[in-house]
Amino acid sequence: MAAADRGVKHRAPRRLRRGALTPYLFLVPGLLLFAAFRLYPLLDGLRLSFTNARLGRPQYAWVGLANYQRLLDDTRFHASLWNTAFYTVASTLPILAIPLVLAVALNRGVALKTFLRSAFFFPFTLSVVTVGLTWLWLLDPVVGPFNYYLRTLGLPTRSWLADPYTAMWAIILTTVWWVTGYYLVIYLAGLQDIPGELYEAAALDGASGWRSFWSITLPLLRPVLLFVFVTHIIGSFQIFGQVFVLTQGGPGDATRTVVQHLYETAFQNFFHFGSASAMAWVLFGVIVVFSLLQFRLLRGHTEY
Amino acid sequence: MRRAALTALMVVLAILWLTPALWVLVTSLKRTPDIIRLPPEWIPWPATLQHYGEVLLSSSRTARIGRAFLNSTIVSLGTVVIVVFASAMTAYPLARMRFPGRDVIFALVVGSLMIPNAVILVPQYVLTQRLGWLSTYQGLIVPEAAMTFGFGVFLLRQFFLSLPRELEDAARIDGANAWDIFLRILLPLSQPALGALGIFAFRSAWNDFLWPLIAVNKPDMFPLPVALALLRGAYSSESYGPIMAGATLSALPLLVVFLVANRRIIEGVRLGGVKG
Repeated sequence: MAAADRGVKHRAPRRLRRGALTPYLFLVPGLLLFAAFRLYPLLDGLRLSFTNARLGRPQYAWVGLANYQRLLDDTRFHASLWNTAFYTVASTLPILAIPLVLAVALNRGVALKTFLRSAFFFPFTLSVVTVGLTWLWLLDPVVGPFNYYLRTLGLPTRSWLADPYTAMWAIILTTVWWVTGYYLVIYLAGLQDIPGELYEAAALDGASGWRSFWSITLPLLRPVLLFVFVTHIIGSFQIFGQVFVLTQGGPGDATRTVVQHLYETAFQNFFHFGSASAMAWVLFGVIVVFSLLQFRLLRGHTEY
Repeated sequence: MRRAALTALMVVLAILWLTPALWVLVTSLKRTPDIIRLPPEWIPWPATLQHYGEVLLSSSRTARIGRAFLNSTIVSLGTVVIVVFASAMTAYPLARMRFPGRDVIFALVVGSLMIPNAVILVPQYVLTQRLGWLSTYQGLIVPEAAMTFGFGVFLLRQFFLSLPRELEDAARIDGANAWDIFLRILLPLSQPALGALGIFAFRSAWNDFLWPLIAVNKPDMFPLPVALALLRGAYSSESYGPIMAGATLSALPLLVVFLVANRRIIEGVRLGGVKG
């Protein structure tokens, strides 16, 4: 590119036009990648959702809203929506609160802060499959250590992953272990931005540690809390890997989430791309609504 | 005194937090009959590397962890190269030049961060199939790079904006063109941000599961997460040894990166997180 530039330097009008082109030349590789593998698939998915496309069938027809209509009767899809919503709601408090408590504790001038932060962060460097296999083994009903120690403590044990009442909670536990370190780091960054003088002033006024936490830490951490909240919600709607490794959606339909059902519909059982695309767009709609909600909330914050 | 008590409490919690990972490592080093012995033994003695040998060297169809390791390495490094270059080339004009359409392009790219990977799974598969890229390295690398691209542009644009313009102005007066400035001035100054982005891209490509699960159907091309997930199905539930050896191996590269570049990873998470 440099050589070509030098070649045309003596012609002023050409150079002007070339200068105007420069930014676009820089943009070409990235935007090509972006258009082909992000934008185009998004729109193509919408188109596919109105067809009866299947894996390995080159010819397919336009079927209008039939795929969306079928979703209204698909009880498994309803179960997957319910499971996803249950997972999202049930996991929100632990995933918001546990890293926050750890971050506040680490921010109180404990020794070994870097080591401690790294220890909690470590699971986040693992793949979801490694994390899933780890807990599969820990929670093994017969030979796993989890049940063994419960038994020695005289507590009730069960087949956590095979029991419809506990399987989703086991998935939540696994996820908490996986992502706590990530949110911990984000909280720590937010806590460091809070000026220490505020706490000193509060202490002079006789405020207790709890009082400072409620009146200083939480309000000033609000944007960070919102970020964690929204990131977690959007991620939760797409939960798949933990389910795939730990339960495959079972027992029965107890842990079948939307993406697990989408995966099965498109690639495992029915190879029905049209129907899976309709599910994807319903999911996308839900995620967009929540994202817009995020922007409203964040804007609300910057106003005061 | 209270500080010491808090430190002690946090150390206990941190050790407890690492216990599941430790259990994986311990299991991978035990002899097969010792693995399922109760009460659980936390010291793998007598230790053996037999499971590592099995998953790395065995020629059985399912236990090709060695091959999967190579595949994951190629895919992750390829993704890093593409993400870093494509993001930097895109972020440069967005941060430093004025041209029609700039703000729209930036909004589109950053807005695309909201496109969930699961939502474009099927059409991305259709596209990859039409390109003849199923079960190929490019079929894993290019979509993987596209997933991280938006974040890369966002991160690098922020960083470029924070750099002083004086050096670039001086170079321009000396006759350097935009490409020279980009390569010789901007990129060398941006090493911390490029490093953070590189590690981030490596991590997402190394750990991604959903896309390779559907984009690869030849066992020889499986990356680690897919190979591990299928390894689980290949063994009866009592044969945890090889599975845990595979899991340990798959965790090693990022553990090394994490130990060497701890601060940079944390910084990358922080930059991408709080300002995202």
